[in-house]
Amino acid sequence: MKKDYWNPYLGGVVLGTMLFLTFAIASQGFGASGTFSRLTAEYLVHSDKSWLSNSYVASYFKHSDSALVNWTVFETVGIFIGGFISALFAGRLMFRADKAKSYSLGKRFMWAFIGGAIVAFSTRLARGCTSGQGLDGMATFSVGAWIFMFSTFAAALIFSPLFRKQWVDEEDE
Amino acid sequence: METLLLPLFKNGFLSPEANLFLAIIMGITFGFVLERTGFTRSQYIADTFYFKNLAVPKIMGVTIITATTWFILFAYMGWIDLNALFTPGTYVWPYVAGGLLFGLGMVMAGYCPGTAVAGLGTGKSDALVFLLGVLGGMFLYFILYDFISGFANSTKFGVIKIQDLFGGNNYSSYIITIILEVGIISFLMLLQKLSNNGRN
Repeated sequence: MKKDYWNPYLGGVVLGTMLFLTFAIASQGFGASGTFSRLTAEYLVHSDKSWLSNSYVASYFKHSDSALVNWTVFETVGIFIGGFISALFAGRLMFRADKAKSYSLGKRFMWAFIGGAIVAFSTRLARGCTSGQGLDGMATFSVGAWIFMFSTFAAALIFSPLFRKQWVDEEDE
Repeated sequence: METLLLPLFKNGFLSPEANLFLAIIMGITFGFVLERTGFTRSQYIADTFYFKNLAVPKIMGVTIITATTWFILFAYMGWIDLNALFTPGTYVWPYVAGGLLFGLGMVMAGYCPGTAVAGLGTGKSDALVFLLGVLGGMFLYFILYDFISGFANSTKFGVIKIQDLFGGNNYSSYIITIILEVGIISFLMLLQKLSNNGRN
């Protein structure tokens, strides 16, 4: 028997308290995109040292021989474990893709891949994603986080009609 | 001068190793809550942009209201140094461009990096494909960095907080943040009602 999702307001109170605790302990908040930037840099440098001449890649190796000795990287490992544990106990653990029922799996994967690449690229410009820039920045009163979040929601709403078939089950209408 | 206790790591109460161990623990709780609130489903996240389900902005808004309320209470009691908390600096045009691209990628893919990691933990195959795309996007940024670094580092203002815009203090930033979050959630709920396809 699957459990229902938490009430959104309750979820926000729990998540906000955890965000506060994270800042109070580590002096930084949640993050995720940095992990994948570091993972890519680590792989590239290990396969070819000349990548260190790229100043963006090199910035990850200033304090350590490995780009992966980093708070956000360890926290991201935890996010994976946390998602697994929660789904396991809620009866929601299963291998599948999310999409509208009639939408083709191949096209779903294509958009997931291209969208992932666009999201990754954008997080380098924005110095973070919805966690590291959005949540952390808004919680610490940063002006930049609001610029980022308003731009994000505006673009998502503007482009949403193009992807309606992927997400909306027509029989629901 | 009194010594502030929090944040623990910045004030030397925590070794780097202990801090990394706690990072895993905080990550586990974060991933757990993302799954419990439905954030590990790309379709559930995308529902936001069709006004079918406003759980995502509601959770984000209440998260910020809750976290900032704790901050202000603890700062008022003199228990936490808010200036020691990491805040990303502001780069105006890179953030506008980054946000617009991020929004496009998010409605296309249905995930952001954090929700995809938790989603992968629940067995979502589209989250796995998304994260492979993320690695590709990072690679693309590195090889284009020489061309893009000029723009990426433009309009740099350093750390600016809401109060810096008009010379207020943390309390004024707090009040404005609460008004913005409550305003946004109320406005979206109104739009949902008007668009008539919301059933929640």
